[in-house]
Amino acid sequence: MGPRFAPMSEPQSKGPALVALIGSLLGLVFSYSSTVDYAAHLDRRLHDVHCSFIPGAPPTSEAEACRAAMYSPYSAIMRDTLWGGIPISVFALGAFAFFAGFSIYLLLAKEKASRANVMMFAAVSVTPLLVSIVMFTISVTKLGTLCKTCVGTYISSALLAAGGLMSLRTLNSSSDGAQRPSGQPMVAVFWLVALAVLTLLPTLVYAASAPDQRPYLGKCGELKKPEEPSGALVKFRGARAVQPALLFEDPLCPTCKALHERLIGEGVLDRLDVTLSLFPLDNTCNWMLSDQSLHPGACVVARAVICAKGQELQMLEWAFAEQTSLTAAGKSGEAVLKARIQQRWGKALVDCTDSRDAKATLNKHLHFAAENNVPVSTPQVFLGKQRLCDEDTDLGLRFTLKQLAPEVLQ
Amino acid sequence: MTESRTPKFGPVAVAVATGALLTVGILVRVHGAVADAKLRLITPDTNKPAIAVADQSEVAYCTPRFKEVLERVLHSCGLVSGEGGRRGCQPADVKTFASISDSDFNELFTPLKDRGAVIMYDEGKDDLDERAKKVLEDMWFERKGARYFFVVARASKTGTVDKNRALSHRRANSVMFHLKDVSKDPEIEKIVGLLWLGNEFAQLSKEYCGWNNSRQDTKCNDEAINRSAFVSWVDCRL
Repeated sequence: MGPRFAPMSEPQSKGPALVALIGSLLGLVFSYSSTVDYAAHLDRRLHDVHCSFIPGAPPTSEAEACRAAMYSPYSAIMRDTLWGGIPISVFALGAFAFFAGFSIYLLLAKEKASRANVMMFAAVSVTPLLVSIVMFTISVTKLGTLCKTCVGTYISSALLAAGGLMSLRTLNSSSDGAQRPSGQPMVAVFWLVALAVLTLLPTLVYAASAPDQRPYLGKCGELKKPEEPSGALVKFRGARAVQPALLFEDPLCPTCKALHERLIGEGVLDRLDVTLSLFPLDNTCNWMLSDQSLHPGACVVARAVICAKGQELQMLEWAFAEQTSLTAAGKSGEAVLKARIQQRWGKALVDCTDSRDAKATLNKHLHFAAENNVPVSTPQVFLGKQRLCDEDTDLGLRFTLKQLAPEVLQ
Repeated sequence: MTESRTPKFGPVAVAVATGALLTVGILVRVHGAVADAKLRLITPDTNKPAIAVADQSEVAYCTPRFKEVLERVLHSCGLVSGEGGRRGCQPADVKTFASISDSDFNELFTPLKDRGAVIMYDEGKDDLDERAKKVLEDMWFERKGARYFFVVARASKTGTVDKNRALSHRRANSVMFHLKDVSKDPEIEKIVGLLWLGNEFAQLSKEYCGWNNSRQDTKCNDEAINRSAFVSWVDCRL
């Protein structure tokens, strides 16, 4: 049987290994950035994050997509047992280090690299790409956003896979027409084991070094007056609710939207008996923001949630889903915003948002926050009377729930 | 001799050394990043910005003197002590606990000119007309961040002291009853402070006719302005 591929000249035979090496090194840089960002947040503080297509670009505060990806349930595994879990990027670090090393081997050994090794490399070089395809699909379908650093990793994975697959072209021939050594399959198996070990080593170091967060859970205050006596707050109960929870939310707050999506993504919302206290960060109704409205129009949308009797959750989720357009409408003025709401929910509901009752009810929500002296920020989550710290509602959500309300995760 | 096709250890050694170096570097950096976070975790953050806390509103007219008098009203007239005690204050109480002259007492309420309104009554009556109800409701539903709603009811000089004391008490109550009807707020007893002054203490002068009142179209004089209940939210943390 003749060779399947045309013979490659020496520079051409180096090409696949070079492409794979570049992909591996880029992947290493991007996954390192992601890992460092993740690890930094183990101090329970807020940090800028890397979010750029440029490898090694400095962290930035303008990184909503990357932050959303980081806080999402898909960025790490074992979140129940370790605060924040083990980020996927740590696995990538070890793997890319292996691929970089192996690419150098192929680059130096050229046609002397055995067929078994080349085939093994080609086979495993596509694994980061497969993971990237899964993560890309999740980003698009579940998060609705693409993080630049993640995209950098996807491109790196594609380069690596391209290099790996292109190296198959060098299998059957070389520039001088000589045959490659076939090599020992056991050696290929050895490299596979090495890949597994290198992939796992950084995760073991990460997990072993991670601080114990248990002493810090539930240290962010308690409700002083858990009941709102007039029953003004919004209630919605999950289908399998086992845990009472109080949420302070602003329908135009992106972080509230992200929390809501995390609660759904983690399967937690369904297990909560939710009392919702609306806390619009808009000074047209909220006297606690004297200087400026963080989310203009949030008072109107909050009243719309109150007015959507029996459909409060649907209205809230609609507001989250349409947050970008509602925020823009809110900045254009109340009339534009009301027209946008009316388009979907009808005139009666918009009329209700102007009613004395709706305004008084929203005022009671705000007084409930004032009576409890909660921080002027959203979102806030209380399990029973206990306030969850902000960081325990994003990276540490599953771990915290496992510690404080394990039945929610069952 | 033909050249051997067996791979030399050179490339393998370089590759293994590279992989090993990268791995060691990664392990050191990962451990370092996590250890740094751990150190920051146990070190108090001195640069942490103070977080604003939700609270009732507090505006400029909440002077220490104003708050002192209002706090006495709250404590002495049953708003704070709450459960089952008597509610409201009569002239003798106000004189005792406020330790303040009539004019100084009225002066305290001057900053509430734009926040409050004067509900006016017919002579010898305590029932609210439609306009009074409307003004009262408008005031009530403009609560914003206020914690307490004050009702200071009075009576004109016509009639005896006892009769006017009782009349002003009924006027304060008529406000309270209407607020209970429209608000449906189970906590209303802890929000509304009632004072009835009869004709003995802190009578209003004719100047107060210029304040927002429920009878803008009718003649207002020293007598008419005191057949009234002044109502206002108070934007002070007490």
